[in-house]
Amino acid sequence: MAGFSTWLESTAISKALFGVSWLWPACESLHFLGLCVLIGCAGVLDLRLMGFFRGVAIRDVKAFMPWAIAGFCVNLVTGALFLIMQPHLYLTSAVWWSKVGFIALAGLNAMCFESRLSGSALALAPDADMPTSLKIVGALSLFSWFAVLYCGRMLPYLGTGN
Amino acid sequence: MAFLRSLQDSAFTDWFLGSDSIWTYPTILTLHTVGMAMLVGASIVVHLRVLDVGPGFPIERVRALYNIIWTGFAINLVTGIVLFVTEAADRAVDPVFYVKLASIALALWLGVTVKRRVIDRVNAPSGTLRAARLLSLSSLGLWTVAIVAGRLMAYLKK
Repeated sequence: MAGFSTWLESTAISKALFGVSWLWPACESLHFLGLCVLIGCAGVLDLRLMGFFRGVAIRDVKAFMPWAIAGFCVNLVTGALFLIMQPHLYLTSAVWWSKVGFIALAGLNAMCFESRLSGSALALAPDADMPTSLKIVGALSLFSWFAVLYCGRMLPYLGTGN
Repeated sequence: MAFLRSLQDSAFTDWFLGSDSIWTYPTILTLHTVGMAMLVGASIVVHLRVLDVGPGFPIERVRALYNIIWTGFAINLVTGIVLFVTEAADRAVDPVFYVKLASIALALWLGVTVKRRVIDRVNAPSGTLRAARLLSLSSLGLWTVAIVAGRLMAYLKK
C-alpha cells in the first residue's frame, strides 16, 4: 500500500490537483457540508426505524433519502480528491481504513434494509410498533455514520495518520 | 485584549494544545464536529421539509428535531468556548470568526422564526408558508457560510 501511495503521489494528476491552493480547503468545506446533509437526512430515517416519530409513515421519511445520497456523493468525490492529492495521509493509516470499514458497514446495512426489509417496513401502519430488526438497522446506521465522522475527524491525531 | 491575550498564553492553553493525549484538543475538536452534525444536520431536515421535501411528513412533527438542534448547539457552545480560549487574542481580531458567529446567530434565529410561524401553527396560511420558505432557504445558506468560515479559520491560524 505504501508503494501504491508513493506512486499515486508522484503522478501528474496528484501534483496538479495539490498545486491548486484553494482546492483542499474548498473540498474540506464541501466535505463538512456533505456530512451534515448525509447525517441529517439519513439520521431522520434511522430515528424513525428506531421507533421515534411514531405515526409518521416510513414512506414519507424516505423522501429525504435522495438528499442523504447526494450528501454521500459529495463526500465520496471530495474524499477521493483528498486521497489523490495526499495518499500517504490515508492509505497507510489504520484509522482511515477503519473509516472505510464503517462506511462499508453503513452501506451493507442500508442495502440489507432496501433488499430485505423495506417492503415490510413500508407496509407497516404508521403507528405500529417497530420490529426489532428495523430498530437494529436504524441504530446500526446511526452508529456507523457517527463512527465514520469520528474516524475522519480524529485521523490526524490517532495512529499514523499524521 | 490583554485579558484575551492572557487566556491564549495561559498554562491551560499550553496543556490543552501541547498535550500528547487525544483527550484534550482532538476530542474537543471532534465533539465540536459531532455537535455540528446534530445542529446543522437536523436544521437541514427542518428547512428541507419547509421547502416541501417529504410533503407527507407532517410538518408539525419536525418540532422534535429542535431537541437535536439545541443539544448540538449546547455541545458546540461549550466546546467552542474552550477552543476560543486557546486562541482568544487571535480570534478577537479575525473577521472570519465574526462572520461565522454572525451567520450562526442569524441561521438559528431564522430557524426559531420558521418554527414559530409554520411548525408550531396548525394549518398556517399559504402566504405564511411561502414566506417561511424564503427564511428556510436563507437559513440553509447561512449554515453553509458558517461551515465554510469555520473551516477557513483553520487556515488563518497564526
